[in-house]
Amino acid sequence: MRASVRKSLTGYSFVLPWLIALGLFIGFPFLGGFYFSFCDFPPLKTPMFIGLDNYAQLLHDPVFHRSLGVTLIYGAAAIPLGVLLALTLALLLNTRIRGQALYRVIFFLPHLVPTVVTALLWLWIFNPDYGLLNLFLGKLMHGVDVWTGLFFDLEAAARGRILPVRWSAMLAAGPVAALLAFGPWLRSELTKRAGLFRLVRFAAALSCTLAVLPVLYVVMVRFMPGDMRKLHSPGWLSDASPFPAAVPFAPSWALWGIVVMSMWGVGQMAVIYLAKLQDVPIQLYEAADIDGATWIQKTRHITLPLISPVILFNVVMAIIGTFQVFTEPYIMTRGGPEDKTRFVALFIYDQAFQYQNVGYAAAVAWVLFLVIVGLTLLAFRLSRRHVYYAGR
Amino acid sequence: MSNAPNKPLPWTTRIPVHIALAGGGLFFLLPLLWMIATSLKPLDQTMRPPTNLKTAFFGDGWQAVIGGRRLEVVREREIVPSESRPVYILRPLDPFPAGEMTHPFGKEVWDRYPVFNKQELARMNTRVTSAMTVLTDARNTFDPAVGLLTLQSGRKVRAAVVRRVRPASNGEKLWLVREWRPEDTDTKEVGAAAGDMTRAWDVLPESRLRKTIRLIPHNYPVALRRVHFARSLWNTLFLCAMVVCGTTISSLIVAYGFAFLQFRGRELLFGVTLATMMIPFPVVMIPIYLLYRDLGWVGSFKPLWVASWFGSAFFIFLLRQFYLGLPRDLLDAARIDGCSDLEILWYVVAPLSKPAIAMIALFTFLGTWKDFLGPLIYLNHESQFTLSLSLQAFASEHGGTPWHLLMAAATVFSLPLIILFFFAMKTFIRGVSMTGLKG
Repeated sequence: MRASVRKSLTGYSFVLPWLIALGLFIGFPFLGGFYFSFCDFPPLKTPMFIGLDNYAQLLHDPVFHRSLGVTLIYGAAAIPLGVLLALTLALLLNTRIRGQALYRVIFFLPHLVPTVVTALLWLWIFNPDYGLLNLFLGKLMHGVDVWTGLFFDLEAAARGRILPVRWSAMLAAGPVAALLAFGPWLRSELTKRAGLFRLVRFAAALSCTLAVLPVLYVVMVRFMPGDMRKLHSPGWLSDASPFPAAVPFAPSWALWGIVVMSMWGVGQMAVIYLAKLQDVPIQLYEAADIDGATWIQKTRHITLPLISPVILFNVVMAIIGTFQVFTEPYIMTRGGPEDKTRFVALFIYDQAFQYQNVGYAAAVAWVLFLVIVGLTLLAFRLSRRHVYYAGR
Repeated sequence: MSNAPNKPLPWTTRIPVHIALAGGGLFFLLPLLWMIATSLKPLDQTMRPPTNLKTAFFGDGWQAVIGGRRLEVVREREIVPSESRPVYILRPLDPFPAGEMTHPFGKEVWDRYPVFNKQELARMNTRVTSAMTVLTDARNTFDPAVGLLTLQSGRKVRAAVVRRVRPASNGEKLWLVREWRPEDTDTKEVGAAAGDMTRAWDVLPESRLRKTIRLIPHNYPVALRRVHFARSLWNTLFLCAMVVCGTTISSLIVAYGFAFLQFRGRELLFGVTLATMMIPFPVVMIPIYLLYRDLGWVGSFKPLWVASWFGSAFFIFLLRQFYLGLPRDLLDAARIDGCSDLEILWYVVAPLSKPAIAMIALFTFLGTWKDFLGPLIYLNHESQFTLSLSLQAFASEHGGTPWHLLMAAATVFSLPLIILFFFAMKTFIRGVSMTGLKG
C-alpha cells in the first residue's frame, strides 16, 4: 500500500509541470472564458455578470454571421481542395519515379516559410497591377481569347447572341479535331498496340477536354460578360464581388485568393501522405496485379482505404486550423473588402484587442469552440464507414 | 501507372507523371523564386507592370552611352515628338519656383510613382535651378526663336537648348531615360533621387539602349537596416532558445511519467491531454491574455516562453508514443542496478530518444520562429519585436509599397529555416510523417 502511494507520488511529481499547465494555461482560460462570456468586461474594471446578453448580441450581429460564414466557406473550399491536391501529388510521387527526393523537397519548402512572409509574398503576387498572378492570368486569358476567337465570335456572345459560332472556322477544324480525337484510338484498336499509342491517345483525350473549355467559356461570356472580363486580371484582394455574380454564397475574389494561397502550403500534407503510401505493403499490390486490377482499382480498393486514417487526421487538423486562420487576413486584407475575409479568429482579435469588447469576444470564442467540436464529431461520424483501421 | 513501387513505369506513363509533378513543383517553387527575383530588383521595376515573364523574373535593366559614358539607365516613358511640336531638353537660365511647373516631366511620369504623397512632391518641387534640365511637354512650351520657356502659369523664363528631339527618321521609338544609381533602392532617398533633375536625363532612340540584367544586392543591407534585423533576430533567437529548451525538457519529463510510471488517474489525465489539442488558440486567447496582464507580464517576453516550460500536449503525446516503443528490458536493468526514475530518464531514456528530441526541438524552433499572433498580442514596444512583427511593421508603415525591400527582408527571414531544413532534412521528413502517423 505504502509502496503504491509512493509510486503514485513519483508519477504525479513527473507530470506535475503538465498538471500546472493544464490548470493554469488551459483549464483556467477555457473555463474562465466561459465565465467571461457571461460578463460585461469594461477595460480596467472588474467584470460584471450580465447573463446571456453577449450571446443575444451575437445572435443579432451581422458581422459575426458574415465572419462565421466566410470561415465555413473557406473551410469547405480549402480543405477538400487541399486534400485532393496533396493526395494527387503524393500518388504521383509514389510511382517510383526519378527525382522523387527533389520533388519532395520542393513540395515541402513552402511549409518552411514563416506565415508573415507567406502573407506578404502572396500580397505581392496578388497585386492587381504589378503582381505575378495577374501577369500569368493576363497572358493565359489572352491566349484563351485568341484561341476561342478563332471559332466563336466573343463580341457577339457578350451581346447575347445565342450561337456566336464562326461556322467557316468550325467546319474547317471539325475534321481535324475528329481525326485527332478518334484517329489514334481507331488505330490502336485496329493494331491493338500499347506504348506510344497510349500516349497519343492520352494527348488526344486531353486536347478534347481542352476543346470543350472554350465552349464553356463562350457560354459564360454570354451570361456574364463583365465578370468574364474581370477574369483577365481581378483585383484579387480588393474585389468584393465574387466572380460568378449570380451564385449566392460564392466566395469573393479575396477569399479565393486566400484559398489559392492556402494551397501553397499543401505540400507538407503531400509529404505525410507519401510517407504513408510507402508503408502500404507491396504484397497487396502484387496480389491485385495477379487478379488483373487496374491502377484505378488498386488505388480505390487498396491505397485509399489504407491511408484513410491519415486523411481523416489531416482533415480534423485542417478543420481546427481553419478557425485559427489569422495572420493571412490580418496582414493581407484586415478582413476587407466588405468583411469578405473577416475570419473568426480575426473577428475575435478585433473585438478583444481593438474594441475592448472582451466579454463579447469570449462569447464568440466559446461559440467557435462548440462549432469546432461539432464539425470534428461530424467528420468522425461521416468517416466511420470509409476509414479503415488495420486490426480493428 | 503502377502502384507497386518496385516496378519501373513505361515511358509513356512516366512522361505525363513527370509533367504533372513538374507543374505541381512549379506552383510551389515559383512564388519563392519570385520573392528572390523581386528582392534583387531596383525600385522602379517594382512599380511597373512586368511586360513578360522574362522581365518579371530577371528584371529589365537598360544601359546607354550618354556623354561618352556607359550608364545604367531607367526608361521613364516613351516620347512622341512631332514636326509641328518638337520636344526640347532645356537648361533654364533663370531660376524659378518649381511649383509653377506642376510636373516638370509631364504628369504621366509622376503617376508611375504612387508612393509619393503631397508632402514628398512638395519637398521635391522646391526650386528649379539653372543646373537642371527640363523637358518640354504639353504644359511647358518653348519658343526657340526667342529662347523663352513658357510655364504653365504663363510666366516666361529664359532657357538654353540642350537638345532638340526630333522624331526618328526610321520611325523608331524614343525613350526618356534617366541615369540609374544604386541608392535609388532606398525608398527614403528615392523621392529626392527621382526628382533630382541634375541627373543625366536624355532622350534616346531604342537602338541606343542595350538590355541588361540588373540585380541589386544592395537591396539587402538597406532592407535589413529598415527592419532592425540584428535586434529582431536577437529577440527571435532568445525566444526560440527559451521555448525550445522549455518544451523539450518539460515534455521529456512529463512524457516519462505518462509512459512508465503508474499513478491513479493516469489514463484519464492522458485522455484530457489529448483532448486539449483540439482547443484552438483563439478560444483561450482572451483569458490567457488577461491572466498575463494581471501578472504584469504583457509587454515582456515572459508570456511567450514561460508556458512552454510546463509541457506541450502534442509533444508529450508524441514522446510518450516514442517511449512506448523503447525496449523495456533496458529500463528494468537500470532499475535493478538501483537507478532512480530521474536517473533512468537521464541516462537511459533520453539518449535513446535523441531522434524524437531532435524532432521536437526542430518543430518548436520552427513554430516559434514563425509565430505571429503571440508576439502581436504580448509585445508592444518596438525594441522587443520579433522578426515576424518587425517585418509586418515595416510593411504596414510603408503601405506595402517598397516590395523589393520587403521581399529582401522576407528572404533573409525565411532563409535560416530553409538552410536548417537542408541540414536536418531526415529529421524534418521523419517528423512530418510522424505527426501524421497517429490517427
